[in-house]
Amino acid sequence: MMRGLSRNGWVLGLVGLLILLLIVTKLIQPSFGASGLESVTRAALPFAFATAATAVVVIAGGIDLSVAAMMAVVGVTAAVLMEGAGVTQTWLVVLAVLALGAAMGALNGALVVATRLPDIVVTLAMSFVWEGVALLILKAPGGAATPWLREVILGPIAPGPVVSLIPKSLVVLAVLLMLVWLPLRRSRLGLSIYAIGSDATAAFRSGVSIGATRVAAYAIAGVLVAMGGLSVTLSTGIGEPIPGPYLLAAVAAVVLGGVVLGGGRGGLLGPIVAVFILRIVRLDLTLLSVDPNVTTIVEGTIMAVVVMLGGILAVRGRRA
Amino acid sequence: MKALYLGTAAMALSMALAGAASAQDQKYTIGISNTVQGNGWREEMICAMKAQALDSGMVDSLNIAHRNTDAAGQLEDIRNLIQAGVDAIVVNPSSADAVNAAIKEATDAGIVVVAVDQAVTEPSAYNISNNQEEYAYLGAKWLFEQMGGEGSVVYMRGAAGAGADNDRDAGFKRALAEYPNVSVAQEVFTGWQQDQGKQQMLDILASGVPFDGVWTSGIDNVIVDAFTESEAPLVPIVGADNAGFVGQLQSVEGLQGAAVTNPGSIGGAGVTLALQILQGQKPAEQTVLVTPEIWDNVSDEGKAKLQGAQNPNLDPEWPVSVSIPDWTTYTTDEVIACKGPGE
Repeated sequence: MMRGLSRNGWVLGLVGLLILLLIVTKLIQPSFGASGLESVTRAALPFAFATAATAVVVIAGGIDLSVAAMMAVVGVTAAVLMEGAGVTQTWLVVLAVLALGAAMGALNGALVVATRLPDIVVTLAMSFVWEGVALLILKAPGGAATPWLREVILGPIAPGPVVSLIPKSLVVLAVLLMLVWLPLRRSRLGLSIYAIGSDATAAFRSGVSIGATRVAAYAIAGVLVAMGGLSVTLSTGIGEPIPGPYLLAAVAAVVLGGVVLGGGRGGLLGPIVAVFILRIVRLDLTLLSVDPNVTTIVEGTIMAVVVMLGGILAVRGRRA
Repeated sequence: MKALYLGTAAMALSMALAGAASAQDQKYTIGISNTVQGNGWREEMICAMKAQALDSGMVDSLNIAHRNTDAAGQLEDIRNLIQAGVDAIVVNPSSADAVNAAIKEATDAGIVVVAVDQAVTEPSAYNISNNQEEYAYLGAKWLFEQMGGEGSVVYMRGAAGAGADNDRDAGFKRALAEYPNVSVAQEVFTGWQQDQGKQQMLDILASGVPFDGVWTSGIDNVIVDAFTESEAPLVPIVGADNAGFVGQLQSVEGLQGAAVTNPGSIGGAGVTLALQILQGQKPAEQTVLVTPEIWDNVSDEGKAKLQGAQNPNLDPEWPVSVSIPDWTTYTTDEVIACKGPGE
């Protein structure tokens, strides 16, 4: 009961912080409105998927350092295959790259299980492999995303005084994450993922197949990574073989979002809210025209302070 | 948690007030977007933008988004600058096509967009850039000439997958096609990283592969260091006009080489172009190209250029061509000081 409360409390606190930041943004820039919200959400999209992927693996007690490199592989594959594609081919490409993401994730997981090396070592090594693969597919930025598919994440859901405040990209993000997360959370697999992250030995004694669950967690993360890679290609319109800055940002958002790095605890909502907080902090720092070298210091400090505060609250909660 | 909210709010409000106070003037605000941090060339570009903005007297403040990111991150930065309501955006695009969407949004909002260093394909933007293909062609041609039109060359490229590297590759290949007796002994990507390039050259020297010349994509002074440290016989080396390499061309005994100019001060030129457009003076062409020059230490003309460009105060990784005639008005000391309006 107490634990449930404190976890929800953390997410509620993050939501409060997000609302506060939106108000601050409006104060700094009175013209901030629908278009601003829309661009923030669109910018958050790849970070949100990378964060969701990282969250799933971390909850299972692992970590995947090849998230950004896999996104690059998916992004270039999609851009190459979508160049000049029709409607049917475009949807086939979407399905194919989701499967590709699952396969890459599953391979990461299988290697972790088979080699018995720490996740951090295996996935770090794999990140170089995926980086190379992306460059083999496309040696320079190129390819093209199907134009009408790009529209799917562009603009508000409909014109109008209130609905125009809701960007399409936010709906796409929410629907896709729920499609993956809700069934998983209610399934035996979802429970197993939490179980192996929380205490692998206990999970094993309760009849959970640790190896299979771990591979499945990495594969699901791979699907989310594929969505992230696709969202990068859709927003830029081309494929980029050099991985973007998504790995560390995703780990940061996962921690800020209340997922415990040791595994077994946390959800998806907190990390996603954290992604938006980090994006809006960046927007505010740009609006305030803060020295760019100070910007990263401020971002890092906010993360450190919030996470430390969370630690203090957690300790107090346990004592009470 | 409550204390944190209050703290954040207080901090944000005080920052907001500070920002509002300086926004009273009638001058322009210019946004800058750059996606590579901690590289000498890019730092010079940023400093040239600051110095030119200050020197022009027409810029009230610069809003600089300067971090290591990809094209999607640059889309975010440009959109944030649109939200900030700047009058013009000077951008070093991470690719020719990938940031078009945000640039279109900016120009639709009445913001002047100037792309520097690399052109963008969005027709509503203006471009001012160094001709990267010509950069590689000039240096490679000089090198092959120096080698007597035959032999093998070590080809040290930039970062795999980068647009400028691709353009330079086209120029290098064009020169290579003109010299059928020249072949590539080794092709490596330095990633435009000093340490990586130096290690690669040390490895090549240790492996004993014969070669007659080295073409580098701007990672140059450490390559000369690799030769002198391993006491290998020098071969002709082509690099960029980075201060360290320009110094070596005049001081290292027996070194034959050439520096091809690739001014980072193109950033300052971008600010000038943006201000001209803001005042209604649009250029005749949408794209303005700055042609590189080659300064070798063999011909008298080249030697004179090298000597004239030398400046002991420059960071060795900075290009010595700190200004561009007709486009920049600041002094060398101003660009080294790296101060923008209001700093």
